[in-house]
Amino acid sequence: MIKEKVTIVNKAGLHARPAAAMVKLASRYKSDFFIHMYGYKVNGKSILGVMTLAAEQGAELELEIDGPDEKEAAEAIIELINDGFGEVYEEDE
Amino acid sequence: MQEMILSGAPASPGITVGKARLYKRRRPMVSGRHIPDMDVEQHINRFNRALSVAEQELQDLIAGQDDEEAVELLQAQVAMLNDPDLKKRVELEIKQANRPADAAIDQVFGVYIDLMEEHQEGALKRRSLDLADARDRLIQLVNDNDDTREIPDDAILVAHELSPREVIEFSEHDIRGIVMDRGGITSHAAILARSMQIPTVVGVEEASKSIAANELIILDGNQGKVIVKPSTDTQKKYDDIITEAARKQAKIQQVCDKPNETVDGAGFTLRANIEFENELPSIERFCAQGVGLLRTESIYLHCDHFDDEQKQYTFYGSVLEHTAPHPVIIRLFDAGGDKLFNVAEQEQNPFLGWRGIRMLLDKKTVLKQQLRAILKAAGRYPGRLRILVPMISSLDEVAAVRKAVAIVQGELQKEGEEIDPNVPIGIMVEVPNVAIQARAFAKQVDFLSIGTNDLTQYLLAVDRGNERISGLYSQRHPALWQLIKQVADAGKEHSIPVSVCGELASDPAAACCLLGMGITELSMTPSALPAVKQALCTRGISDMQALASKVLESTTVAESEEIFTNF
Repeated sequence: MIKEKVTIVNKAGLHARPAAAMVKLASRYKSDFFIHMYGYKVNGKSILGVMTLAAEQGAELELEIDGPDEKEAAEAIIELINDGFGEVYEEDE
Repeated sequence: MQEMILSGAPASPGITVGKARLYKRRRPMVSGRHIPDMDVEQHINRFNRALSVAEQELQDLIAGQDDEEAVELLQAQVAMLNDPDLKKRVELEIKQANRPADAAIDQVFGVYIDLMEEHQEGALKRRSLDLADARDRLIQLVNDNDDTREIPDDAILVAHELSPREVIEFSEHDIRGIVMDRGGITSHAAILARSMQIPTVVGVEEASKSIAANELIILDGNQGKVIVKPSTDTQKKYDDIITEAARKQAKIQQVCDKPNETVDGAGFTLRANIEFENELPSIERFCAQGVGLLRTESIYLHCDHFDDEQKQYTFYGSVLEHTAPHPVIIRLFDAGGDKLFNVAEQEQNPFLGWRGIRMLLDKKTVLKQQLRAILKAAGRYPGRLRILVPMISSLDEVAAVRKAVAIVQGELQKEGEEIDPNVPIGIMVEVPNVAIQARAFAKQVDFLSIGTNDLTQYLLAVDRGNERISGLYSQRHPALWQLIKQVADAGKEHSIPVSVCGELASDPAAACCLLGMGITELSMTPSALPAVKQALCTRGISDMQALASKVLESTTVAESEEIFTNF
């Protein structure tokens, strides 16, 4: 099992689109994926669960990944989060 | 009755006048009773059918959308419907608590919404709306209560809050504008309104309470104001603003519709400089014939790593898709290496330093990833994509880039990818030695693109950001024009296209002078296109040639300035 702390860096936080991207990515792996925040645990493969976290920019999450491909899954998910979910939109004009 | 001004946040620009239509989403009724065991299966089936119908509705909306943000938002809604936990929990509610399908959906979504609202603050506030929207639609569907929304045509919609789906549905009915009590400028409704160019003001507290149905309102999406029952003076003022804006747009359209030629029939090509996907609509709006300079730095600056070939490929593909049948000229990553890699010491002179192709040739993986994405896109749209190499200052660099392109093309072919074997490779003319040796470079490349901003700065040794000396910076300097002429002549001699993609091209008088020198391809920021086209269309090529010779004879900036002013 891999446990790793990450911080949400993208401006808009973990709202619907980033959550959808993360769930989609996580679902490609066999490993179970959970997120801990506020002492609360959600299924990282459930977009509704992820959205209930309402994690904003700066929020710290602990990822828990457990399964046969946990290493690859952890790497990919962490990269997506650190990458700000590729968020390139919405600089106020 | 006096007019009333309500303030909110300007979510989508534009001004519109119209009658207010109030829209209120009704929360569907939910049955309270319990169901007998024998009905459990039927309710589970109803729920599953509702899921698939709701998904199909969203897929239909997605199919009709070409805005990428709208598509992503709708896809997120699809993901909610496909959530494995949602399905499990609703079915469990039906099975174990004997709730009817509608109440089970309401119960399960209720838990999610409560949790989300408990956790959210600031920016994410209101985002539970997406969940509420999915819940309400599912409940309507399980109850076969297909309450099609009452959609007002040709009115300004006033609502407490709209879901993404509602905005998209209303946009299909020609609503003129949107006023919302809630939401910020980054709310989903606002993002969509912008992409669909519906003037919108959000966060106007109490709007839906203080505006009565059918009241005349003015919506000012530029300033984030809503004027209720405007006085005749205010109406007059806004009528004038609207007329003026319409006149401007009509003029742009008029210019756009003209053929691209001078009064005496000399042709020219005008393209757009862009960097972001959301600039694509402006290409059509200002009638650019393709993209003369696609900056790619934003891709990298938003990533911590360089191996996102797929993301780049998607971006290039989308630009090519939107600009058919015109060409798209993609400039390789043009930034200082210090911004990207952990270089210990800061460069003393970053503009004279490790940047553009100098950096790319050292960082082979970065170059390779970008070339892979570009060349794959070129294969998909053969004959339309061209590669522009920045910061070239030697022929060796040109040879090295050509070699890298050939290697990547070979690899792609081996992988079974389509390629465009003739993809043109051109260079930026921005380092003065390249302009001086233009003939030698013209032999080795497929086109030349003059970047006048950097060329001027290097030529005159002026940092335009340095206020003390910025007065020395002038793109009307005779020396710059003499260099441009040499480059134009070299291109002609070797029969390769020469274009200008710097700020100079967006100055109508300078554009005339460039055409007079035989440079027929100009690229600029899209909004500058109409004025330049207007100038080029209303004059003759012989006058432009005369202007060019006069400018070439001038010896000081003051002299050339005067020549341009009198043109």
